Amino acid sequence: MDKQLEKLISLHDLDVMIADLNRKDIRKREVEMGLHTEGALEELKELRETYCKGIKRKWRGLYNQLTRHYGNAVVPALMGRCAGCLTRLPTAVCSDPERNSKIHTCPTCGRIIYWAD
Amino acid sequence: MKYSALSKFELSASSRDEVIKELLDLFSVGEKSRGLLAVALDIREKVGATVVHSSIALPHCRSILVDKLTIAVGKSSAGIPWPEEKVNTVVLFISPVNLTAPQEHSKFLAHIAGKIKNSGDKIIASSNQDELLKLLGFQLEKQGE
Repeated sequence: MDKQLEKLISLHDLDVMIADLNRKDIRKREVEMGLHTEGALEELKELRETYCKGIKRKWRGLYNQLTRHYGNAVVPALMGRCAGCLTRLPTAVCSDPERNSKIHTCPTCGRIIYWAD
Repeated sequence: MKYSALSKFELSASSRDEVIKELLDLFSVGEKSRGLLAVALDIREKVGATVVHSSIALPHCRSILVDKLTIAVGKSSAGIPWPEEKVNTVVLFISPVNLTAPQEHSKFLAHIAGKIKNSGDKIIASSNQDELLKLLGFQLEKQGE
């Protein structure tokens, strides 16, 4: 898998963690379980900054732009379609066994696509 | 409601990272996805160890790499340093990222919180897989289902 794609997927998961800890219901549940959430949000934001530094400006810019626009920048391909907008992806790309070895974007919505292994 | 969970009653790993890897190996995802899920769980642990009720660890996150709530339960009689406290029960769970997932994730957190609050000591003392899964409100999921 392309190293930049790996980092974009991890960045997406990190952003989901930040969004979750910003949700009152999830934070309340975590506290109910006995987990300490104080300071976690700030630490995650700091980790995000560090993570972003490892991503090329071109992909970071695209990621941030897509996140602002759609809320999610990276989506899986499901049955040959973009899971974000359901557009059918080019067959040549989908059937390529090395499809994750470079970053592909949806021809319609522009989201970053990965294929589950 | 009973949740389906994968299970490995006697874990062979002896560190937090190894346990996470051992439980992720039960997941029906490829090696690359497992590696990326381990990264996400490690990030979550770095900002605060997920140990509750003294001996139960709950490594968890939400990720685009799973398409349904996936749970794996493990037990270690020797105990695992997590990393400062020793735990003997690990409930690893990863929720998907989709429109309804935050509500489902929150609901599952409430389920786990309730079980630990009511039966935490019994969960720690459970002596077999069936008992442990029953106490947690889970049913055994066969690998690959």
